[in-house]
Parts: sequence; structure tokens; C-alpha cells
Amino acid sequence: MEGLIARAVSKTYRSQRGPVRALDNVDMTIAKGRLFGFLGRNGAGKTTFIKIATALLRPTSGSIQLFGIDVVDRPREIREQIALIPQEAKPFYQLTPREHVEEYLRVRGLSAETAKSRADEVLAAMGLETYQSVPAMVLSGGLQQRTLVAMILATEAPFLFLDEPTLGMDPFARRQVWEVVRRAARKGSTVLLTTHYLDEAEQLSEELAVIEGGHVLYQGVAEALKSKVRREVRLQFSGGFTAQELARYGDVYPDRAGLTLLTTRSAVEELTQRALERRVPVNVGPVTLEEAFLTLVGRAIEDEDAETPA
Amino acid sequence: MTWKTQAIAIFRICYFNGWLGLRRSPIAFIALFLTPLSFVFFLYVIAPRSVLPFGVVGGIMFSALFTGNAMMNDCAYLRLERQVQQIFITSPLRPMSWILGMALSELVFTVPGLVLFFAILPLVVPIGVLTMLALVGVVLLTWLMSTSLGFLLSTFFRQLREIWPIGMVVFTSLSVIPPVFYPIAEIPESFRWVAFLAPSTFASQLAVRAAGLSVPIVASAPFLSSVGFQVVGLVVLTGLFTIVSMRFARWREP
Ligand SMILES: Nc1ncnc2c1ncn2[C@@H]1O[C@H](COP(=O)(O)OP(=O)(O)OP(=O)(O)O)[C@@H](O)[C@H]1O
Ligand SMILES: [Mg+2]
Repeated sequence: MEGLIARAVSKTYRSQRGPVRALDNVDMTIAKGRLFGFLGRNGAGKTTFIKIATALLRPTSGSIQLFGIDVVDRPREIREQIALIPQEAKPFYQLTPREHVEEYLRVRGLSAETAKSRADEVLAAMGLETYQSVPAMVLSGGLQQRTLVAMILATEAPFLFLDEPTLGMDPFARRQVWEVVRRAARKGSTVLLTTHYLDEAEQLSEELAVIEGGHVLYQGVAEALKSKVRREVRLQFSGGFTAQELARYGDVYPDRAGLTLLTTRSAVEELTQRALERRVPVNVGPVTLEEAFLTLVGRAIEDEDAETPA
Repeated sequence: MTWKTQAIAIFRICYFNGWLGLRRSPIAFIALFLTPLSFVFFLYVIAPRSVLPFGVVGGIMFSALFTGNAMMNDCAYLRLERQVQQIFITSPLRPMSWILGMALSELVFTVPGLVLFFAILPLVVPIGVLTMLALVGVVLLTWLMSTSLGFLLSTFFRQLREIWPIGMVVFTSLSVIPPVFYPIAEIPESFRWVAFLAPSTFASQLAVRAAGLSVPIVASAPFLSSVGFQVVGLVVLTGLFTIVSMRFARWREP
């Protein structure tokens, strides 16, 4: 069974400055138990999609099913299955991290013992032990965010929606989040996660979707995205080549040492050969997800601009 | 979740939002009873002694009515600023349980003030235990009506800034303009029915009657003075606010 099926989901907000089409015929499928990354620029429509999938917002048209249950028709059953970290949520200011976790689990119907043992576990995993009895109002921003992650991940809900869960966290804390998210997925939860850290998305997601202007540009694994945009290899030249010369192989950017070229696997041999002939060093490495993302979305923006009459 | 787990959830919300909130920032409840207490104080200083019982009952009703203001502020704050309402309603918890838990926690904040007014009451008017219990019943009905109105109002806000002035206007009008702190007899008889346009009038007239201070309201319309009419009025208003909240409230935003 699929974890999530979205069919032709559209959402138009009515705002004072006229209607805003936040989602436009979005189709998406997430297999049950998958750790799924949802990427897109600011305003692309990620949060809107999550709000619809968690029955907080009604789609203008289209449908979403979680585990075969329609979100619009049966929100009560959906709520049994989900937990959500909303984007930029903040904890209760008078409660401690431990209270957040335990009280939330109890409100969700778990026993006091379960709540306590899960709190022990998740507070340790999130590095919150030393802060567990400190009211959130005196915790730093990143510690507050960790508290929310602990609270939601401790639910072990079958479907976890994490809207920018690592916002404002240091690199250590982010890795702790990755670990608890991976553990949740291993235990069988389906996870939909948004992030603007593409290294995080690459580390974490088994599959991903890229959305731009309310359209899904891509869904699949990260490696296939790189092939799709025909940018698999990064070559870094320190001298010996001009930007014009490299441009026909792919995208060229100036960098600190010289020029960076993003290109296909097939161009590598020819170019390294030529670099050897010219006796200039060349660095060869894989394209990052971030570079593939910039290419994919960059092209979509260009197409959009080309279609819009000046 | 079963009814039992929903009930436990409601009390947990009341515990951490109400009780822990009260214990960790006690200034909040002082703020809640300071205003009605100062009204009572002014009445004590400037008005004839015969009005004082109305003042103390007024203080009780003011406290009960202002749970609605606190509810409106809290719910809007938790939804817009903290987004924890979203965390709680994307869970097996029923929306109605969230509302009830929040309403109960507002009651917790009001209890210290209520205890104070209930302690003063026997000093200004002879009153028995049964009367006290009847008044407690009125307070509970008023709290339900007012918090359901507060929640309904909270759903309309898009921004926190608008809340403070609107709360002051709505809940101060509800508790100061209608006959809450003064006898309804002060209004010319032919206009007394107008007072029933304010939900708080139903509550205050019940309270005044429970305290043994009531007068026939309108000779030609005796039903206005009847307990039945006033209780049903409060219950119907509570139901109405709740249904409108559940139907149209922004569980699903625009
Ligand atoms: N309540 C609203 N009323 C009107 N327009 C809205 C509303 N919420 C979002 N939008 C618009 O819908 C579009 C999608 O917004 P959304 O919040 O889904 O983006 P996002 O991908 O989550 O962005 P970010 O990465 O910045 O969080 C944007 O153009 C935004 O301005
Ligand atoms: Mg967003």
C-alpha cells in the first residue's frame, strides 16, 4: 500500500492582492515507510501541500490519501495516523522539554509509562538531557526547535510531517535529528520532510520531489535527478581554460581557484585529456544534490521567464 | 481514541496550560481579578451600601466572563504565534477536546479571583450554602458560554496585533455596559429587554437571582425574569458559538 497519494492537488489562496495559485495539479506518490525529501524554493508550495495533507487546509481541487484514507473526507481517521512539526512552530514557553514530550504523548492517548520511557529515549537522542527541566522560555532557539523535534518524533506516528525540522540548528544537532528521523523510518514510519539544506536532503532522503511555483518538477532518487539534468560530474580547473570554451559542455561558474564546470559523465574523458595536454590540474568529483537542484529549478525559472511576455 | 483517553487529554491540557502556567507566571491571575476588584472597591467608596452586593456578584460574573477574553487571547496566540494548536489538532485529540482543555485551563487562572469574591460575598449579603452552590453553577454556565465565544472570536484573527484591542472592546462591553455591576432596575423598564441582546445579561441576572437580589425585570414579560429562560439562553448561546466554531472555524484555513 502507498503511504501518500496526491492526485491533481491544486490550491488557490484568496488574498487581498488577488488569488494566489500555491499548488497547481500536484501529483505525488510516497511509498509506505519511505523517508521522503520535499524540496523547493521559498514560496514553492511545500508548506501548503503539508497543510493539506495534514487536514489543516482544504485543497481547491484534487485529493490526497494517506494509507488509502482520503484526507478531506475522513480527517478524523487521518489524525490518528499523523504527527506534524509545523514550519517555525514554537514550544509552550512555560513548559520544559520533558514536559513537552510527556504531555504531548499523554494527550495523544499514550500511558504515563510509555510517555516517560519514550521521553527518556528521545531527550537523550536529541541531546536535551541537560536541558530537560528548563522552561522553554529560557532555551535558545535551536534548543526550542530540538524540543519540538523530540515531541513529534516521540509519537512514532505512522506518518510524520516535518516542515523544516532542523531550522536554526547547529551541525551537531542536525545530525542528531537525522539519526532520530532515520530511526523513525526504520521503525516503519513514513516521513515527509522539507529542508533548504540540500546536503541534509541528500544524506537523509531515500527519495525526493522538487516543486517550483506549485508544479512538481521531479520525483525520484537524488542520483537520477543528476542524470536527468545531465549534470553528474563537477570539474574544477585552475587556469588553462576559458569560460566560453567550457560553456558548450555544461554550466560554468567562476570559483576561488579558477572555473567550475558541471557536466555529464561522457564529457569527463575528453576534458581531463585536454587538461593533461595543457598541463593544468583538474579536480573531478560528483555533482552535489544542491548543484543538481540549482540546475533543475534554474531552468524552470528561465522557461517561465521566456514564456512571460516582457 | 476512546472517550476515556479524550477525557484524560482534556485534563492534561488543563494541567500543563492552566495549572503549570499559573504556577510559573502567577502575575497572570492577579491581572485577571485586579480589574473587577477595583470596581468593587470604587463601589465601596462612592456608592450606597445597598449597591455593594451587586458589585461583589458583578465581580464574580466579570471574572467568569473574562475567561472568554483569556480564551480568545490564548487560542489565537497558540495558533498564530506558537503554532502549537496545529500540533495538537494534527493528532488523535478531537478538536472539541482541545477547546475544552483550553477552556478548563482558563478557569484555573480565574479560580483565585473567584475564591476571593466568594469569600467577600457573605460579608455584604446574607447568603447560605445552597445559594453559593447555585452561584457556582451560574459561574460554570457563564464560563462555558464565554469561552466558547472567546474561541470563536480567536478563529477570525490573522494576526496577533489585532487581538488586544478587540478583546478589550468585546469583553469590557459585555461586562461593563450590560447590568453586570449594577441592578437591571437602573435601566428604564421599557428598555430592559435590550439588555438581553448581550449574552452576559442572562448570566448576571441568574447570578443576581441566585444571590437573592433579583427584582421582576419587565412586568409585561415575566418570562425574562424566569430561571428557565435565562439558563436556556446561556445554554443555547454556548451551543451556538460552539457549533459555529466547529463548522466555520479555521481548522482549515482560508
Ligand atoms: N494564507 C495565505 N494566503 C495567501 N497566500 C499564501 C498563504 N499562505 C501561503 N501563500 C502563498 O502560497 C505560496 C506557497 O507558499 P508556501 O508557504 O506553501 O511555500 P513554501 O514552499 O513552504 O515556502 P518556504 O520554503 O518559504 O517555507 C506562496 O506564494 C505564498 O505566498
Ligand atoms: Mg514552508
